[in-house]
Amino acid sequence: MWTIKRFPLLWLLPALLPVLLMTLYPIGHALWTSLHRVMILFPGEPFVGLDNYKRVMASSYFYDALKNSLVFTFFAAPSVVVIGVLVALFLQRRFFGSQIVRSVVLLPWVLPGAISAVLWIWVFHPSFGVLNAILRSLNIIDRSIPWLISPQLAPISVTIAHVWTQIPFAVILTMAALSTINSETLDAAALDCRSSFKRFRYVLFPEIRSMIVVLLVYNSLIAFTGYDLVYAMTSGGPGTATTLLSFQIWRESFSMYDFGAGSAVAFIVVLISATLIIAITRALPSDLFGGDEP
Amino acid sequence: MQLKKVLLAMSMATGVFAAQTALAGEDITLEFVVWNYSLDTIQDNIKIFEAKNPGIKVNLTDYTWTDYQDSLILRFRSNTQTDVIYGGQDWLPAWASAGFVAPLNDIAPPDELSALSDDIAGFALSDMTVDDELYGLPYYADTISFIYNKKILDDAGIAVPRTWEEVTAASLKLQASGMERPFVYELNQELPNFFDAFVAQSYGRGAELFDADQNAVFADPENGAYKQLEWLADAYSQGLIQPETHESKIIPAMNTGNHAFTVVYNYVLAALNNSATQPLAGQFALALMPGAENSTLGFSKFYAVTAKTAADPERAEAAWKFINFMAGGDYTIAKRWAVEKGLGFGQLPLYDDSDVIEAWGKWVDVSTLNQQAATAKAGVWTEWGGVWSAYFRPLLAKAMVGEATVDEVMQEGAQRWNELKEQFANR
Amino acid sequence: MTGRLNPVLTFFFAAVIILFTGGPVLLSLYGSLVPDRILLDSSKSIFTEGPNFETYRYIFTGELPKSYLTEGANRAMISDAARQVPQSLINSAIIAFSAMSLNLLFGAPAAYIFARYVFPGKKLTFLFLILSPLVPAVALITPIYMALQSIGLVGTRLGIILVHTAKALPFTVLILSVFFRKMPAEIFEAAVLDHCSRFQSFFRLALPLAMPSIGATGLFAFMLSYSEFMFSLVLSGDARTRPVSVVMAALARNTDVSWSLLNTAIFIAIIPTLVLVILVWKFVVEGLLSGAVKG
Repeated sequence: MWTIKRFPLLWLLPALLPVLLMTLYPIGHALWTSLHRVMILFPGEPFVGLDNYKRVMASSYFYDALKNSLVFTFFAAPSVVVIGVLVALFLQRRFFGSQIVRSVVLLPWVLPGAISAVLWIWVFHPSFGVLNAILRSLNIIDRSIPWLISPQLAPISVTIAHVWTQIPFAVILTMAALSTINSETLDAAALDCRSSFKRFRYVLFPEIRSMIVVLLVYNSLIAFTGYDLVYAMTSGGPGTATTLLSFQIWRESFSMYDFGAGSAVAFIVVLISATLIIAITRALPSDLFGGDEP
Repeated sequence: MQLKKVLLAMSMATGVFAAQTALAGEDITLEFVVWNYSLDTIQDNIKIFEAKNPGIKVNLTDYTWTDYQDSLILRFRSNTQTDVIYGGQDWLPAWASAGFVAPLNDIAPPDELSALSDDIAGFALSDMTVDDELYGLPYYADTISFIYNKKILDDAGIAVPRTWEEVTAASLKLQASGMERPFVYELNQELPNFFDAFVAQSYGRGAELFDADQNAVFADPENGAYKQLEWLADAYSQGLIQPETHESKIIPAMNTGNHAFTVVYNYVLAALNNSATQPLAGQFALALMPGAENSTLGFSKFYAVTAKTAADPERAEAAWKFINFMAGGDYTIAKRWAVEKGLGFGQLPLYDDSDVIEAWGKWVDVSTLNQQAATAKAGVWTEWGGVWSAYFRPLLAKAMVGEATVDEVMQEGAQRWNELKEQFANR
Repeated sequence: MTGRLNPVLTFFFAAVIILFTGGPVLLSLYGSLVPDRILLDSSKSIFTEGPNFETYRYIFTGELPKSYLTEGANRAMISDAARQVPQSLINSAIIAFSAMSLNLLFGAPAAYIFARYVFPGKKLTFLFLILSPLVPAVALITPIYMALQSIGLVGTRLGIILVHTAKALPFTVLILSVFFRKMPAEIFEAAVLDHCSRFQSFFRLALPLAMPSIGATGLFAFMLSYSEFMFSLVLSGDARTRPVSVVMAALARNTDVSWSLLNTAIFIAIIPTLVLVILVWKFVVEGLLSGAVKG
C-alpha cells in the first residue's frame, strides 16, 4: 500500500457527503429522542436520561423480539453464506444448461419483500398452499402442515423465505471473488490436491475469505434489522413467534405513540449489531482494513 | 361618440370581469388522505365534486390500512399539508386531544350540522363524538359479523350455531369428518380490528369490557370477555382455528371450501359472495353473533378535518363543502358505496332505500342484517385506547395461540389500562 | 474449474437449485393465468381450463374480465390499483437506475482510495462508512422524513433516490474495495513508473480491470433500491411517482384484488427487471468466468 500525506478529500467526499447527510442528523435526532420523553399525547419533551432504555428493557416484549431476532439472524445469515458459496462453486463449472441455472438463480433477488412474501405465503398456506398440496398428493402427509400458523414452524418458514431472497447476492459476490483468483494458483491446486474439499479449504477459501466476511456481516445486519418480508408474511405472528426487533421499534413509535421508547430500542439494536459485526470480523480476520502487503 | 361609449362600456365590462376572476383567486387544493380501499370510486367521487365546485381541487393520497395511522402520525408531526382525512373511531379521542383534528362545528353551519347528525345511527354517532362535539360524518359504518358457509352446514346437517358452545360442537363435528380447521380467524396483532373483533364476540355474550367509569373489568373470570378469550384459546388448541394475516387471504381460503366459519366485516361477505371471482359465491351467509345476547360491535369510519385546516377560513369552507358532499347532502355518495361495494352506512335514511335493499339482497339476507344492526353497540374509545390497544393486541394473540395463559393476559391488560388511565388523567 | 462431477449429480443439483429459486416465481406465473374460481377449486386446473389472460388484459387495458359482466356479479369489486403497476415499474426503474449510477460514480473512487492507499483518518472514515447502516431504517424514518420535507423533497423521485443512494453506498464502497484490493500491485507500480497520476491509475487501469465487479456491485445497488419499501412508502407522493415495491405491498392487502390478479401484477413486476438483470449478469459473468486475473 502506498501512503498519502493528506486526507484525499476529493476522492472521498462524493461518497461521504450523502451518507453524512442521511446519517448524522437522523441518528443524532434519534439519539436525542431516545433520551427524552417524546410521546405525542403528552405535552413537552423533557429530558429523561436513560429512562426510556430502562423501560424498554424491562418489557417482556423486548426480550421476545430480541430472542426472535437473534435466533433468526443466527440461522439465516450463515445459511445464506453457506448455500451461496456452494451454489457459486457449483456454477463455476460449465455444463449443459449452466447458463440457465445461472440466470434462474437471480430470480429471488429482483423481488421486493412484499412480493416474496406473497409467493411464500402461497407455498406455505394451510388451505391453498402448494407445499401441502404436493406433500399430500405424494401421500407423505394426510394433514396439512401448519407452516405459517404454528408458533414453532412459522419462524422456520420465514427463515426459509428470507434465505431464498438473499441467495442470489451471495452467489454473485462469491463468483466475483472466485474470478479474481490467479489462474496459476488454481492450476497448482488442481495438481496438488486430489480432493475438491481439500482444494477448497486450503486454496480457495483463503482467497475468498474477505468476501465471505463481507457476506456474513451484510447478511447478519440484514437479518437482524429485517422488516419487510417477515412483516408481510406473518405480521409478527402467530402470537409473537415471529415478532422481530424492527417491529418493536415501529410499534413503540407509531402505534403506541412513544417515539422515545422506539428510538431507545433502535439504539439497543445498534449496540447489538455493532457487537455482532465486531465478533464476526474478529473470528474471520481478513485484510480488509489494510496494512498488510498485497 | 356612440363608438366611444360602446368601447368604454366594453372595457369596463372586461375590467369588472377581470377583477372578479382576480378576486375569485386561485383554486384551492384540498389534501385528502385515505386508506387504499377502492381508490377508483373515490377518484370518481372527487371528479363529480370538482365539477360541481369549480375553484376547489382535491388531491388524493392513500396508504395501506396497516400503515395508515402511522403515516398520518408522521404527517401530523411534520406538518405536511393535510386537510380532510379518513378517521377511525379508535384513534379519534387521542387525535382530538392532541389537537390534530377539529370538531365539525368549527367549519360547518350549525343548523346544517344538526340536521345531518339527527340522521346518524346510534353507534356511529357515539363513535364520532368526543366530549359532546361531533368530529366527523360517516364514511362507512358497519358491524362485525359471524359468517358461515350455508352449504357446508346443510350438507353436514348442522344447524346455524347460536352460542359459542354450539360453534365448538359444529366445528368438532366438521373436523371429525375431515375438515381440518373449520374456523378462519383474522389473527394479526398489528391491526386494530383484531381487537375490535374480540370486542364484537364479547358483546355477543352480552359482556362489557369496561364499566361506566371506564375502568377495565375484563380480568374477572366471570366476565364474558374473559370467557370468550378462553373459548378462543381452547378452540385454537383443539386445532379448530386457522389464523390469517388479513381479510384478503380469508376470502380465497373460505372459497376453497375447506372452512365453515369466520368473523369479518360485512363488506367482506359481499366480496366472498361475488360471483365474478369466487368459485363458491352465494354459499356464504350472515348469522347473528353467537352468545347469549347476539349483540355485536358497531363502528364507524368517518371524514374528519384537521385542526390546521379548520383554523384557515378559506380552506375550512372548502373542506366543509367536500365533507358535506361525501357524507351529507342527500347521501348520494354514501348510497353509492352501499350499492356498489356493500359498504355499510351510518345514515339512517339509507336503511329504507329500495336500491340499497335490492343491491344488498344479492349477497346477504337483509332482514338478518337489520336484526344484527339493531342490537349493535359502540365500543369504548378513550384517549389512551389506541396506545393501550397496540400494547394489548400482542397479548391477546399470545393467549390465543397458547404462548401465555388467559389469566396472565387479562390481568396484564387490565393493569396496563388502569395505569394508562391514571397517567392520562394526571397529565 | 477443473474436476468433473457425475452428470447425474450435476443434473440433480441443477434441478434442485432451479426448483428452489425459480419455483415460487413459476407459481406466480401459474396464478396469473388461472382465475380464482379455477385456482381455488381443487377439481379444476390450468390443464382442464386452459390459460386465461383476462387479468393481463385488465392491467394493461382496463377491460373487465368477462366474469364481472355476468348477471349477479358485482362489477365494481375489482380494484384498479392493479393498473398502477406498469407506471410504477417505470418509476422504480428510474429511481433504481439513478441510485445505481450515483453509487458507482461516488463509490468507486472512494473504494479505490481505501483499497490501495493509507492516509491519515483512513480507519475512522472507513469505520464510519461501514457502521452507518447499523441503525435500523425504522428508527430513522421520522427525522429523514422531516429533513426531506423541509427542503421540499417529500413526494418526489429525487428524495427517494438520495435516500437509496445513501443506503447503498457503504456496501458499495466495502465490496468494491475488496476487489480493488485484490489487484496485483505490479500493474500499478508500472503505471507509477510511467508517471501516471493517482487518478489516471484509477481510471485507466483499475476501472477497466474491475468491470465485472463493478457490474455486480451496480446490480446490487440497483436491487437494493428496487426492492426497498419503507422509505419508498413514506417518501413517495401519489400513485404517479410511486415505485413498484409500494404498489405491490398495497395490492397484497387489497380486498378487491383477487389472488389471480395479484399474481399477475407480481409477474409483470418481475419480468422487466429480470430481463435487465439477466442482460447485465451475462456481461458480468462472461467477465468473471473468463477473466481470472492473470498474474
